[in-house]
Amino acid sequence: MAETIPSAQSTEIRPTGEDNVIEVLDLHVHFFTTLGVVRALNGVTFKIPRGRVLGVVGESGSGKSVTGFSIMQLVQHPGKIVKGQILLKARKDDQPINILKYDRHSQQMRNIRGNEVGMIFQEPMTSLNPSYTVGNQIQEAILLHQTPDKDEAWRRTVDILRRVGMPNPERIARSYPHELSGGMRQRAMIAMALSCTPSLLIADEPTTALDVTTEAQILDLMRELQKDIGMSIMFITHNMGVVAQMCDEVVVMYLGRIVERASVEEIFYDPKHPYTVALLRSIPRIGLSKGEKLEVIKGGVPDSYSTVTGCPFHPRCPNFMPGICDKVMPAETPIEGNPHHTVRCHLYPGSAAEAEVETSGLAPGTAPAAS
Amino acid sequence: MSREQTETMMESQVNPEDVLLEVKGLKKHFPIRGGFLRRVVGQVKAVDGIDFYVKKGETLGLVGESGCGKSTTGRTIIRLYDPTEGEVIFNDPDMGQVHIEELDSKGLRKVRQNMQMIFQDPFSSLDPRMTVGRIIGEPLLINGVAKGRRLRERVAELLTVVGLRPDHASRYPHAFSGGQRQRIGIARALALNPKFLICDEPVSALDVSVQAQVLNLLEDLQTQFDLTYLFIAHDLSVVEHISDRVAVMYVGYLVEMAPVERLYYNPKMPYTEALLASIPKPDPRNRARPVRLPGDVPSPANPPSGCYFHPRCQYAQDICKVERPPLRLVGPDHWAACHFADELNLKGVPRLGESAVLRTPSAASTIQVRGRRVTSEQTGDGEARTEQPQQPPRPPQQ
Repeated sequence: MAETIPSAQSTEIRPTGEDNVIEVLDLHVHFFTTLGVVRALNGVTFKIPRGRVLGVVGESGSGKSVTGFSIMQLVQHPGKIVKGQILLKARKDDQPINILKYDRHSQQMRNIRGNEVGMIFQEPMTSLNPSYTVGNQIQEAILLHQTPDKDEAWRRTVDILRRVGMPNPERIARSYPHELSGGMRQRAMIAMALSCTPSLLIADEPTTALDVTTEAQILDLMRELQKDIGMSIMFITHNMGVVAQMCDEVVVMYLGRIVERASVEEIFYDPKHPYTVALLRSIPRIGLSKGEKLEVIKGGVPDSYSTVTGCPFHPRCPNFMPGICDKVMPAETPIEGNPHHTVRCHLYPGSAAEAEVETSGLAPGTAPAAS
Repeated sequence: MSREQTETMMESQVNPEDVLLEVKGLKKHFPIRGGFLRRVVGQVKAVDGIDFYVKKGETLGLVGESGCGKSTTGRTIIRLYDPTEGEVIFNDPDMGQVHIEELDSKGLRKVRQNMQMIFQDPFSSLDPRMTVGRIIGEPLLINGVAKGRRLRERVAELLTVVGLRPDHASRYPHAFSGGQRQRIGIARALALNPKFLICDEPVSALDVSVQAQVLNLLEDLQTQFDLTYLFIAHDLSVVEHISDRVAVMYVGYLVEMAPVERLYYNPKMPYTEALLASIPKPDPRNRARPVRLPGDVPSPANPPSGCYFHPRCQYAQDICKVERPPLRLVGPDHWAACHFADELNLKGVPRLGESAVLRTPSAASTIQVRGRRVTSEQTGDGEARTEQPQQPPRPPQQ
């Protein structure tokens, strides 16, 4: 398959001494549409240490969900993973494997999907099959990955439904999705994702469609289960409140790139990238924003077909510096030597040191000197 | 206490001249049909007797979980649904006091010039086969307000008012982003210069940054055109931001109504407390979750006995299972439906100040610009600005 053709560097596996469940290295995903190529991910690199919760935030169109789908190799046609590596280390003593080596339809990939890596989708309404009972759908994953014994699988199904806090799990297992409320469906989705005790759970906006009270229950539940099972979570969301409550580390994405990464404390108390700052300021906060204008980020996310030269955020940035921001793509720079807090912004020293130059559409002579 | 008493007490709280909309005992029941003859086998009591008023120029927020009847309330007020029972009295600037529940289609058309609605989903509420100009111009045409050149001018003016460009009028809705579509919906609602807008979750389908833009726009328009809003939403921080007073609904009933400050800091109904406690706080240093509301919202077709909230209420006593508490006055302009509203000491949201995220200088006001510290001036509205360096620090080589 074309999308799994490893590029020159993706064949080598770079072992880091750390115990990371997943390491995504320089991931590029393009969508080849009839109207042109949409560059959904332009070199995304991150890792999730075992047992940690990583928050992935950004506006719609920033590539959050595509990142999640890429790890599952579920990026749909016309999307293709054109470059990069995804190293999965399911157990502590395993060797990391580059899952992009596997064909998306291969047996190996199926063993990973649902078993080692679970995923909760955004809309519980559309993600459950309406013509099977909830129990059937959960049992299917267990039968596929864990045990061939049907009775045993059913017992585990009821058990996992009980663990996600369903009242009367036997009855729920025999219900169809339409018989359940939104919160219950989302619990069923979580139960399904957790049924094979994955080492990584990708939660793609798991609470966006829910009411606050249900959201609180689901978040509580996820935190509890995460502690029990010891899995890592990649939490994709645009709700900063949820990020603050759930995550250990945060990456902020904008137009297919990570613009800032830091611990959750630093993101909220010491954000560096103008986009992160703007994002945090645009949410209404109880007690803070009454009677005041909300700060807005001017404009909108640019059209996905166009390419912006230089920093992709420069047309909306309040700190825009002409001559540099619109010409040079800032490199990821550690803040004050802290390798755990990095930012892609020309406001911080060193950002242009190894600046990537937009190879296409850049007028000759505007390339910066790499120092 | 009977409903009539509640009503009279409500009237005592406010000067009738200031009231733009008054809702008395409004009910909307949807029949459940079943069996061979499609007989009515039950009623979904989506809205089951609510009383409230909206003052001129204010924003009343209406919050609650999904299925509590808040959208039905909005739709019944503007007669997209016919009410089962109750009165909706609108103080029309042209027609005087009108009972909306009694109006015929001609009267409705007239009153809807002053009462408009903004819908939740900007993707399904605009006709994909009409240009934006026609969408916004349609109410003007139908009501015979303008046509021809006047119409085009008015559409251009409306587009400018909501922050779009007049030349957008010739495009189709698919060419716009979610936030822009919501602006189109707002322009359409404003076309006839209404006095009262029912905003049904106008920002919940939008991204955070776009949400802020639309909220600011709604606030600007309110001052500019002297509008009154009924703002239906489930996001409590959005409601807090935009509302003057807030009403909380639970399974078809109003359970609390108060000025925003009182409701958020000093709630009198355990359900409000639980709602407020459920908001995920955007502060990683504050991860406590004091009240966790168990269970789900009961079905309005088969509600529990007594106070509908009692199965989920941590303060429930025996009386709560038997008797439904009426909405009563518990403080200045503060209404609550709880037997123990006076005794309970409920927690609102914590007073901010402790979670000093942003708004503080540390956030962005001192941004290191390439090694040089540039201290920003802290402007009055707390906005931090970074000085632009005189020259780009690293000009690209020519």
